[in-house]
Amino acid sequence: MQLRYVLSELRQGLRRNLSMHLAVILTLFVSLTLVGLGLLLNSQAQRAEEHWGSQLQITVFLCNETATSPNCTGEVTPAQKDAIINVVQENPEVADFHTESKKEAFEKTKELFSEEYFARLPTSPSSMKESVWIELENAERYQGIRSAVEGLDGVSNVRDQRAVLKPIYAAIDALKFGAIGIAAFLIFAALLLVANTIRLAAFARRREIGIMRLVGASSLYISLPFLLEALVTALVGVVLAGGALAAFMYFGVAEGMQGQINFMPWIGLPEYLAALGAVALLGPLLTIFPTLVLTRKYLKV
Amino acid sequence: MIRFEKVTKAYPGQARSALEQVSVDVEKGEFVFLVGASGSGKSTFLRLILREYRPSSGRVYVAGKEINRLAGWKVPRLRRQIGTVFQDFRLLQNKTVTENVAFALQVIGKPKAQVESLVPETLEMVGLEGKGDRLPDELSGGEQQRVAIARAFVNRPMILIADEPTGNLDPNTSVGIMKLLDRINRTGTTVLMATHDAGIVDQMRKRVIELEDGHVVRDQARGIYGYQN
Ligand SMILES: Nc1ncnc2c1ncn2[C@@H]1O[C@H](COP(=O)(O)OP(=O)(O)OP(=O)(O)O)[C@@H](O)[C@H]1O
Ligand SMILES: [Mg+2]
Repeated sequence: MQLRYVLSELRQGLRRNLSMHLAVILTLFVSLTLVGLGLLLNSQAQRAEEHWGSQLQITVFLCNETATSPNCTGEVTPAQKDAIINVVQENPEVADFHTESKKEAFEKTKELFSEEYFARLPTSPSSMKESVWIELENAERYQGIRSAVEGLDGVSNVRDQRAVLKPIYAAIDALKFGAIGIAAFLIFAALLLVANTIRLAAFARRREIGIMRLVGASSLYISLPFLLEALVTALVGVVLAGGALAAFMYFGVAEGMQGQINFMPWIGLPEYLAALGAVALLGPLLTIFPTLVLTRKYLKV
Repeated sequence: MIRFEKVTKAYPGQARSALEQVSVDVEKGEFVFLVGASGSGKSTFLRLILREYRPSSGRVYVAGKEINRLAGWKVPRLRRQIGTVFQDFRLLQNKTVTENVAFALQVIGKPKAQVESLVPETLEMVGLEGKGDRLPDELSGGEQQRVAIARAFVNRPMILIADEPTGNLDPNTSVGIMKLLDRINRTGTTVLMATHDAGIVDQMRKRVIELEDGHVVRDQARGIYGYQN
């Protein structure tokens, strides 16, 4: 009887205020999607950084068998390597450094790329290059160390992260903050819509609520239909946002970018699930919290 | 059953108190009329019993409990022991007579079986047998007030509060309503009724409490509406 009452109230409430509920759902849908996108872009930036290191890094790749640089005469010798490391160690622009063996490079590549993509790469540990990863003291001061190592024997090439990464990171950051900024405005709009929906619903049901209070219905009983309405609209919003994010992951990343830009590892299912989880928490929070506050106010329960 | 101890109620922003140092004691099973001019504080008195408001000072006891100290979440339990009837009936227009009465039981979580036996029984008691499927606007004012009384009484409360229940009804219909309230009183229910209806008060000869500007100016067993030497 209790449950039946609550469900029929819920159905009536959703139908009575359909246009308002749709407005709440659509705003939630778009804002949650944007929040999810922001989170995905953040993961993408992290993935890229894991692969390439931060902007403060330059990477010195050492010669291997197939290297074509004029400094290379086949595989780097231990003596050349010592000389290079010595130069790096002495340089005042260097904050820290570590070396990466061929095997480590191979494992890292394997870990970062998806299996099917990795299978297509013509790699084995022997085809990788040894490298020295240098952490700079100051991102603006890199010319000294760069020119110091560039000409050394055994150095195949120097990758300056700043040049490659800056535009990519800047683009990802801009998209991320753009998405989250717009989401913030929409979330504010969603909160106002939720508040209005409750006010209208409380007004439409004021006689009923008055009688419930008079005959001694509990506060929870009176506010339950409102809370359930809030939960249902939030869940619909979350499902729609989850679908939109899945579409983004499939068409945008898996089928889109991944094929075209394959020098970068792309986010996948774990990142999607993490973003979905965050959105699934945020959605109900955004409707239930104002409902709790406002039912107390409008229903005086 | 109901006890007011030096109760003062001042509404916020109102210069004069609606009730001033009111002390009243009502025993279980009594029938009490509250009379007095408009604005004398009758409705305020009844609302304090329901804990719609707390008194500004003094104490209100219902069934031995000091209700102004009652925690907010216990108020519904208090109200389940009090039935309430108003001048304007306050029925839900989109529900039938049966549904209106059943509503009062459903929203406090009474089991279905109990609702199905109590509702027809109460409708019969108030004289509405056979009219359970009508909507409120298919009933006369007197019949609507009977529905409201059935709703107030269906949970068998200890106390019935009626704020001018005959205010919208003609004298004949009012007599019928008063007979009904008297019957409810005879089941042991304490009845408090605010009214302007002199004829009814004079006829019933029950206890009369008269308020004037928030003060009790008369408390008389078997009283009449106006002053009596
Ligand atoms: N919610 C309220 N807020 C402020 N003042 C109120 C409120 N309710 C009643 N009052 C004031 O308190 C006083 C007593 O009002 P109350 O309703 O108790 O009188 P009453 O005896 O029931 O009058 P009536 O016979 O017209 O129903 C009046 O002066 C009224 O204006
Ligand atoms: Mg009144």
